[in-house]
Amino acid sequence: MKIQYDTKKNLAERIFLLEILKGLGLTLKRLFSKSVTIQYPKERKELFPGFRGKHALIRDPKTQDTRCVACMRCATVCPARCISIRFSVDEKTRARKVESYEIDALRCIFCGYCEEVCPVNAVVLTEEYEYSNYTREPFHFDMERLLKNWDEFLEKNKVDPDQYRNPFLRPRGLSIGDLPVGKRIDVPEEWTLEGQVIWKDGKAVSAKDAVSE
Amino acid sequence: MPENKAESKEIVREEVAYEPYTIAMGPQHPATHGVLKLDLELDGETILNCKPTVGFLHRGVEKLAENLSYAQTLPLTDRLDYIASMANNVAYSIAVEKLLGIEVPMRAKYIRTIVMEMARLTGHLLWLATHALDIGAMTVFLYCFRERENLLDMFEEICGARLTTSYTCVGGVRQDVTGHFLEALHAFTDDFPSKIAEYETLIDKNRIWLKRTQGVGIVSAKDAVSLGLTGPTLRGSGVDYDVRKHMPYDAYPYVDFEVPIGSKGDVYDRYRCRMEEMHQSNSIIRQCIEALPTGPIRSPDAPDIVMPYGEQKRVAADATFASGVIKLMKDNEHYIDGDVYVSAEVPKGELGFYFVSDGRGVPYRMHIRSPSYIHIGALPFLCKGQMVADVIAIIGSVDVVLGECDR
Repeated sequence: MKIQYDTKKNLAERIFLLEILKGLGLTLKRLFSKSVTIQYPKERKELFPGFRGKHALIRDPKTQDTRCVACMRCATVCPARCISIRFSVDEKTRARKVESYEIDALRCIFCGYCEEVCPVNAVVLTEEYEYSNYTREPFHFDMERLLKNWDEFLEKNKVDPDQYRNPFLRPRGLSIGDLPVGKRIDVPEEWTLEGQVIWKDGKAVSAKDAVSE
Repeated sequence: MPENKAESKEIVREEVAYEPYTIAMGPQHPATHGVLKLDLELDGETILNCKPTVGFLHRGVEKLAENLSYAQTLPLTDRLDYIASMANNVAYSIAVEKLLGIEVPMRAKYIRTIVMEMARLTGHLLWLATHALDIGAMTVFLYCFRERENLLDMFEEICGARLTTSYTCVGGVRQDVTGHFLEALHAFTDDFPSKIAEYETLIDKNRIWLKRTQGVGIVSAKDAVSLGLTGPTLRGSGVDYDVRKHMPYDAYPYVDFEVPIGSKGDVYDRYRCRMEEMHQSNSIIRQCIEALPTGPIRSPDAPDIVMPYGEQKRVAADATFASGVIKLMKDNEHYIDGDVYVSAEVPKGELGFYFVSDGRGVPYRMHIRSPSYIHIGALPFLCKGQMVADVIAIIGSVDVVLGECDR
C-alpha cells in the first residue's frame, strides 16, 4: 500500500497559519477535558491480581508455617539464581524439611517463574511495590522475613488469606488435570479452561455460554 | 558503503589551515534515546563524518543464554527492546518452537498476535512521542503517553508487569486473557483512530514539522537494502518487505492487513509509514479479538516450559524425590542437533534469533539480529552532509533502542 499524503498548502493556509491554529484549538479543547494524571502519593492506581511485586512465603493458615516442601523447583528454574534453599531429610520417612529459604530481591528479575512452578503454592510475588530502602541489607529476605512479608501484605491490603487469588498460583487457561494437586484451588470461572472467554456480539462472553446458546 | 550525494559537496577554504571540528554527542544526551554516543566531525554546522559508539548498555544476553535453559532466557528478552518487550517474547518463542518443531495451539497464536500488535502500538507511540519532543513538539509527547499508559495497564492485567512482561512461553502463552482485558482492548481500538487523528492535527501539516523532516536523511531503496535496514525505516524508502507478510508466523496469515510503503525515503516518509502502521495494527487487534478461538493455550508437547505439562507431568510428579524438574530442564531428547534462524517483525524492524544447538537443553550459541544495531550502522550514511540539528531528527526517524542494540 503506497502511502498517499499531500503537504501542499493553499493560499489561505499559507497566509493564516491554519494548521497551527487547528493544533492550538485541539490543545485548548483538551484543557477542559478530564485529567488523566494520577497524583501518585495521594492517589494510587489499583493493581490487577498477579502483579509481580514483593516476594513472600505464604503462611499456611493451619500450621502457621510455610508450605514449602523443599522440592527445589523455584531455585532450579530461577533465571537470576536468586533463591537459595537448605533442607534436611528425615532418615525414616525420607521427607524433606526446609531449613532456610532465602531470596536476594536485588538479584530477582521478577519473572514469576518461581510462583508458577511451585507445586504447593508456597512462594508468591505479592501486589506490593513500595519497599525501597537506603541499604542492601533489607532486600535479603530470609524465611522469617518472607513470612512476615506475607503477614504485612495481608494486613496492609486487608486480604483474607483464604480468598487470596493470584493468576500465578493457578495459571489461567490451564485444564485442572494438568496442574499439581496443590495448585488446584478454586478460582473465578473465567480463569479455568472451560470458562475461557471469546468475543461474541460486541462483548466478551464465556465460551461455554456461547456454545449453549 | 553506498555513495552519498552530499559527499560530493567539496569544502573549499583558502588561506586558513582547515581542520574539522569534532564533538561528542552523547552518551548522556537526551535526544540519543539512551546511551548512544556519536562522534561528529563538523565543518561549521555540516556533518563531514559521524561515528557511532555503542556498547554502553552491554549486558551479555547472548553469552548468558548459553548457560540458561530456553525457558530461562525468555525473561532476558524483555530487556532487549524494553519499550515493546512483548514483541521480543513472541519473536524468541517462535524461534525456539521452530528449533523444537512445536505447533502452537490456535488460541495462543491469536493471543500472541494481539499482544504483538499492542507492543507495536506501544513502540510506535513512544517513538512518536520522543521523536516529536526532540524536534520540538511537546504536546504530542504528552498525548502519546496517555494512550501508551492504557496499553501498559492492559499488559499488567494479563501478565502482571507493565514492561518486563515475560508473557509467552515456549509452546504458547503463560496466562489466558480475561474478559475485562478483551473488552478494555476492544474499547481502546474503537477510540484509537481518533487519537491518531489528534496527533496528526498537531504535526502532520505543521510547517515547523515539515521543515524539519522533509528532505532530511534521504535513503534510496537500493541503499536501504544494502545497508540492511528493515521495518518502517526500510519501507519508508519504498521497499515492500514485511516479515509478517512474507514469512507469516502466528495468526498473521489469517488476518487482513496492508503494509504501508513510502516513496521518497526521508524522515517524513518514515513518519507517515509508522502512523499508517498504527492504523493497521489497530485493525489487526480488532480482527484477532473478534476471531479469538477457544482451546488450550499451551502446546501439550512443549518441553522445557515452566510448568510441567502433558507428558512431562508424569516425570515432574517425582519432583519431591528426584528433582523431576531438574531432570526436565536437562532433558535433551527434544532438541535437534543443528541451527535455526527465525525472525519476527517487531516495531523497530526484523528481530531475528539464531540458535546453534548441539542437542543439549541449552543453546550452544544464541545470536540476536537486532534491528537497532543495524540501523545505528546506517547512521553515518544518513547523517553525512546534514546539519547537526538534523541528526536528532534522523536518530528519531530510524527509531533505535540501545537496550536492543547493545544487548
